[in-house]
Amino acid sequence: MIKRFARVFVVAACVAAAAGCGGKEKAVDGEKPVATESGGSLKGDLGPPQGPDVRAVLTTPPMVPPATGRKTPARVIVELDVIEKEMPISEGVTYTFWTFGGTVPGSFIRVRQGDTVVLHLRNMPHSKMPHNIDLHGVTGPGGGAASSFTAPGHVSRFTFKALNAGLFVYHCATAPVGMHIANGMYGLILVEPPEGMPKVDREYYVMQGDFYTTGKYREKGLQPFDMEKAIDERPTYVLFNGMEGALTGDKALTAKTGETVRLYVGNGGPNLVSSFHVIGEIFDKVWFEGGTRFQENVQTTLIPAGGAAIMDFHIEVPGSYVLVDHSIFRAFNKGALAILKAEGPERKDIYSGKEVDAMYIGDRASANLSAVSQATTAAKTGALTAEDQVKAGEALFAGTCSTCHQANGQGMPGVFPPLAGSDFIAADPKRVPSIILHGLVGKVTVNGKEYNSNMPPMSQLTDDEVANIATYVLNSWGNPGGRVTKEEATALRAAKPATASEGH
Amino acid sequence: MRAVVAGAWALTCLATFAVAAGNAAPGYAGLPGGTFKSALAYEDAKQGVRIAPFSLMRKPVTNGEFLAFVRAHPEWQRGRAPKIFAEGRYLEHWQGPTTLGDRALPEQPVTWVSWFAADAYCASVGARLPSWNEWEYAAAADETRRDARNDPAWRERILAWQSRPSDAALPRAGLQAPNAYGLQDMHGLVWEWTDDFASLLVSGDDRNQGDADRNKFCGAGALSTDDRDNYVVLMRVAMLSSLEARDATANLGFRCARSVR
Amino acid sequence: MKHLRAMATCVALLFASIGAAQAGTPAARPADSVYQLSVPLTDARGKTQDWRALEGKPRIVAMFYTSCPYMCPLIVESAKAVVHALPAAERERVGVVLISLDPARDTPAVLRDTATKRNIDTTRWLVAAPAPADVRKIAGVLDVRYRRLADGNFNHTSALVLLDAKGRIVARTEQVGPEPDAAFLSAVRAQLAK
Repeated sequence: MIKRFARVFVVAACVAAAAGCGGKEKAVDGEKPVATESGGSLKGDLGPPQGPDVRAVLTTPPMVPPATGRKTPARVIVELDVIEKEMPISEGVTYTFWTFGGTVPGSFIRVRQGDTVVLHLRNMPHSKMPHNIDLHGVTGPGGGAASSFTAPGHVSRFTFKALNAGLFVYHCATAPVGMHIANGMYGLILVEPPEGMPKVDREYYVMQGDFYTTGKYREKGLQPFDMEKAIDERPTYVLFNGMEGALTGDKALTAKTGETVRLYVGNGGPNLVSSFHVIGEIFDKVWFEGGTRFQENVQTTLIPAGGAAIMDFHIEVPGSYVLVDHSIFRAFNKGALAILKAEGPERKDIYSGKEVDAMYIGDRASANLSAVSQATTAAKTGALTAEDQVKAGEALFAGTCSTCHQANGQGMPGVFPPLAGSDFIAADPKRVPSIILHGLVGKVTVNGKEYNSNMPPMSQLTDDEVANIATYVLNSWGNPGGRVTKEEATALRAAKPATASEGH
Repeated sequence: MRAVVAGAWALTCLATFAVAAGNAAPGYAGLPGGTFKSALAYEDAKQGVRIAPFSLMRKPVTNGEFLAFVRAHPEWQRGRAPKIFAEGRYLEHWQGPTTLGDRALPEQPVTWVSWFAADAYCASVGARLPSWNEWEYAAAADETRRDARNDPAWRERILAWQSRPSDAALPRAGLQAPNAYGLQDMHGLVWEWTDDFASLLVSGDDRNQGDADRNKFCGAGALSTDDRDNYVVLMRVAMLSSLEARDATANLGFRCARSVR
Repeated sequence: MKHLRAMATCVALLFASIGAAQAGTPAARPADSVYQLSVPLTDARGKTQDWRALEGKPRIVAMFYTSCPYMCPLIVESAKAVVHALPAAERERVGVVLISLDPARDTPAVLRDTATKRNIDTTRWLVAAPAPADVRKIAGVLDVRYRRLADGNFNHTSALVLLDAKGRIVARTEQVGPEPDAAFLSAVRAQLAK
């Protein structure tokens, strides 16, 4: 990795000082070798706009406007509408989105470095809120936010020169900023380098966002924004293009084998960082962070909130490729999943599909049955020790009690009381077998915490089993120790149930 | 306080219910059936599936019971049952074709059985394997409620089974407290075959959500899991959909059902 | 329908009583042969016989149902495509068997209709339905997955399965359509070369 970087820089250095370089430096793939520095905004002013004004082609996601194709700077007019509207966020679930251009993410803007952009922001008359726009592609305090603060039913205009090439996020920055972003107010603006982007077969626009609703994931109906969850950064949904299923099924992205696909991927946030990955593909190139340089052969690229990246990959094998945030529970339990369907002839030489499904024997390790059967045998011969009982009890506990009281006896906070270091047990150890046999109904206080669940009687257990489990519990996790015999269990089974009020 | 009363009431209710279901054969519990909302989002049954009254074995079939079956039906003994019905590891943990040995206690649930073998066993006792819907419906109960699925604690308890090492000895069948229908070990002991396990058209790679491969299945797209919080069901479905009818595994057993006529 | 089931049951009993001795000696039947299963099939002419009668010749088997609007015609076309891709001399030597997932609705009359509609020559192809209780078993030996939908349709695996003369599964393909799966086709030819 490091090595490759080094090589790129060496090549670059050679080009810069061509005379001083011996060997023939070949640029990769006939591309123009990168200069050591692009010069950034210092070199981004390419002079005054030339020719007639250009009206920017704005596209709705997942489409990307065509390349500008221009060799000279121009004045570009961008008219962006702010629309607050109720749209589906998942099946049967709606949300009041605030949008740039009526979609989440907002319209894609494409200009060339050096262009002068005149931005008209029009806030719809029926909007409830004022809005503005902060474009990360703007050089100037606030990125345009203060100049574009627009009340409902108003239009603002400001002009900026795009001095830096790159893929930039724009978003609303009206207070409370987080809420405006959480409601979907973000999009991307691509500032092409003067020579344009390398040509590819298809370009798509994908943007991740996290959403916070008061209802649970997929809870039906119109869902309000939940400020608490947003502050705690616990999103209900993490989505590509503002809706679960925005890019799946009939709306999946499409491509053909043999094509190179480019994704312009942004992350609106407001909170989460995206580990963007396409299952089954490797990015041939990633212009990481949406900047000038690309890294090659990347599996997963990190896209910060308020950041973007560009990635190219060539498709060899047909099928469905899945776009995910590889923080994987977001993909399967919060919606961060999209599909790219590639059509074309099979390439079994590259990817076979399943070739073998045969029986695998493994090392034939067999389960250890000893503890329980040993205890049974020992009990029969009268040689049962407390140790045998504890061992057998441990196996039995794992098979039944541990589902509520946990393998470590810690219980479940607020639901099932702990058995570990329990003052309730210490106060009367004989409670253990009795409660196992007769259950427990009502309030109990264990280690200072109150529990009010209902433990059913475990009458399905044999007297042996009750004795062994109780002995195990008494001798574990700092409990006082002791032993319960089968005869005691028999007697307790016949006795009147202990009630939870005892000792309170 | 109210909770206590409710709990006590639930238990009383159980008692009466057990009486009401008294028509079930010994070893079986009667279940009333009704409309059931499966955790699997059947595209054709958004409102739920109809389940007719049926009865289900209270416990999974044990090694001891299965031994009696293969003694009476020698064609199902290990080494005799053809490979197309039972793979090479069929009953491999038994000491011999008709001896259990110390790796298979009579009270433990039988495992290493194929769907065909389970199907034959049930037929031999005048029963059948339950359908997936029947099974899921019966397994939605906890000790006091017939549908405890919305209780996170219920889900966590069941998930806890996953954290037990799979090479630990299986407890005996019937060790756990019965659920509201009087059924034991629906969770936390073994996976269980269902009659129509092969209807669970869920691929092992569920990352193609929303990408029903229409070429693969006729009719509507494949099953997708609606409540993806419900890992309990998802894991079971994933397990069953990885198998063919001749397969057997160390953690897969079965119990039988009967329709109420 | 009831009548069909009754008949199928009768037939099954008949076969059970005749015993395995006449249906080929078990010794000659490999342990992984699908013909280990003894199930009656009722064809488009209403004739019922044990599917073990299919032994002795390589066969392309698929499960389908007649009211299927989309995939099943494609399954039929796929099977045709494979057969047509064979040299004329070989076509006679491979059987094609279409087995219904839906015996409740796929009566002999309905099967006959479908055969006519799809230009299936029922003297060469067997189009048949098992007894309702046997569908799962057949699907089990052929590794076909299916689910009945509320509207009477089915979700199911669309596969062509190649059986050798003894009933062992030697190849399968889920590639459906007019273009035969090359690997499957060569498996068919390999069987015929034996």
